[in-house]
Amino acid sequence: MDEKMSVMVVDDEKIVRESLFFWFEKAGYTVDTAASGFEALEKIETYPFDIMFVDIKMPGMDGIQLLERIKTDYPDTAVIIITAYGSIESAIHAMKAGASDYLLKPFKPKYLSLVMEKIMQQRRLRSEYNYLKARLEKISRFDNIIGQSPPMIKIFELIPEIAASDASVLLTGETGTGKELVAKAIHAKSTRSQHPFIAINCGSIPDTLLESELFGHKKGSFTGATHTRKGYFEVVTGGTLFLDEIGEISPKMQIDLLRVLEEKTITRVGSSESIPIEFRLVSATRKNLQEAISSGTFREDFYYRVNVIHLHIPPLRDRKKDIPLLVQHFLKKYSQETAKHVDHVTQNTLTRLKQYPWPGNVRELENAIERAVVLSKSRTLRSEDFSFLSTDAPRKKTPSLREVEQQYILEVLDGCEWNITQAAKILGINRVTLHKKIDRDGLRNLKR
Amino acid sequence: MRKDRPHIGLIPFGGTPDIVPKVIAAHISAYLDLHAIFLDPMANPSYALDKQRLQYDVGAILEHLESGSFRSVDKVMGILDVDLFVPVFTHVFGEARQKGRAALISIFRLRKKPMDTIDVSAVALERAAKVALHELCHLFGLTHCENDRCLMHFSGSLSDLDQGSFNLCRYCKRFFEDAVS
Repeated sequence: MDEKMSVMVVDDEKIVRESLFFWFEKAGYTVDTAASGFEALEKIETYPFDIMFVDIKMPGMDGIQLLERIKTDYPDTAVIIITAYGSIESAIHAMKAGASDYLLKPFKPKYLSLVMEKIMQQRRLRSEYNYLKARLEKISRFDNIIGQSPPMIKIFELIPEIAASDASVLLTGETGTGKELVAKAIHAKSTRSQHPFIAINCGSIPDTLLESELFGHKKGSFTGATHTRKGYFEVVTGGTLFLDEIGEISPKMQIDLLRVLEEKTITRVGSSESIPIEFRLVSATRKNLQEAISSGTFREDFYYRVNVIHLHIPPLRDRKKDIPLLVQHFLKKYSQETAKHVDHVTQNTLTRLKQYPWPGNVRELENAIERAVVLSKSRTLRSEDFSFLSTDAPRKKTPSLREVEQQYILEVLDGCEWNITQAAKILGINRVTLHKKIDRDGLRNLKR
Repeated sequence: MRKDRPHIGLIPFGGTPDIVPKVIAAHISAYLDLHAIFLDPMANPSYALDKQRLQYDVGAILEHLESGSFRSVDKVMGILDVDLFVPVFTHVFGEARQKGRAALISIFRLRKKPMDTIDVSAVALERAAKVALHELCHLFGLTHCENDRCLMHFSGSLSDLDQGSFNLCRYCKRFFEDAVS
């Protein structure tokens, strides 16, 4: 025997269970028995069996019903149906339902041995297939980006080409599509790979802090600047700077960044000394920057500077072909991380996952798989494990805090017919702060 | 042969020709280096006869032997001349439970002509000895072996049995010696 296979005998007759148990035990297999389909399902949930010998006639759940459940939830388990002479039609029915073979009892001991040989041969073929599939999967992966759909294959092809140049790259795509992974892949494939890759989420850092983070500061330049600190522009020298959510950068900061990109020098906050810098800029946004330019919140000259090469990452709903591959990847990842042996997904579940619109894209899918794996009590993820995904109404994008603030300020200003003093009083801030917020977010352009 | 090697008791049932247990005993001593001892014969096990199949249920016979008290021996082997069966199988040449105390072997299907009760040819005796040694090894915990030149390779037919070996492969031999020592 190449490997110690595990066998389960499911029969309501004790004598049959015992006979086969002793035979398999002597043949060196790990063997267990179950007196009913329900008991068999309970056992297989806790221990994976390679082969099941199932009697076709059993009270409660019959052999065919058990076969169907096994083939749905544990497709790798081979099922051999045992039937009595005279019920050949049901044996044919079983074969159509996915049984690997059938035995008419009583059968010659030789037949049992032949069936086992056949199953082992099938398993060998399957493992060869899995090996080749895994190699193919490698082709479907590019530096942790997974996909086999035409748009993703196109991106895989473009990454090395983009990496070979030094031009600024703008990555667009909805949240959770993997923009940062693409940026990392571009960096990894470039000649800059030995230098740092620094990612900054511009949307999460206040403007003043962002300036200090990027440009660095001189000791004493502001309260709290207790020592001179290098900014990311200096630290990243020779490498790749990834600015995520570039659409959130204020118009003032856009001017500063534009100057850096044009002059290739920076001046630390509080200093007058020019420092030469050299890095590749990769930016990303989920916003429509053309619209932002039209509304005056994004500078056109800055846009053209950062958008020398444009790469759009499609949302998951536009590449549903990648969902099974991603599901398998995350299943493997979280099965290992959580040490839970969840390694199957039913066909129904995959269909459900393909139907869901995934507004949060790959990140949402990953979180959904993690949650399902953690909460799963069996080895197989079923459709009901994803009941938290509601497909009734497409979920609205959750606005950021700044978006909520902008919307609220705009409503108050409109309500006061843009009387700044009155609006500031309602908002509980002073007039200067309100003016700053209006300028920062270009609210005058949104005046109704 | 060392005295501390296990002792195997051979029990002929019914009208089993005398030559059969003698040949089996000789092979047990020669190939497995174990003591083979003849115990009192027993009548054909009528309690195990399945009247529909006209065959004898090995499960019932083994249970009967396992419950017996055979203090002078470590394992017992029943030798029969009736058609044996296990409920799911059409027939078996012999049977033993893994690491059990009792094994069975029948000459019935090992003859060239199954119904020929007088003649037990040399070929049939050779087959009987192979089945007996194979089943005995199961009593010592050996499982079937992939090596088709090993005594523990599964033989499902007479032709398989004829091509099979009396000897254990080196791995099974090692396992066997560990088990008996």
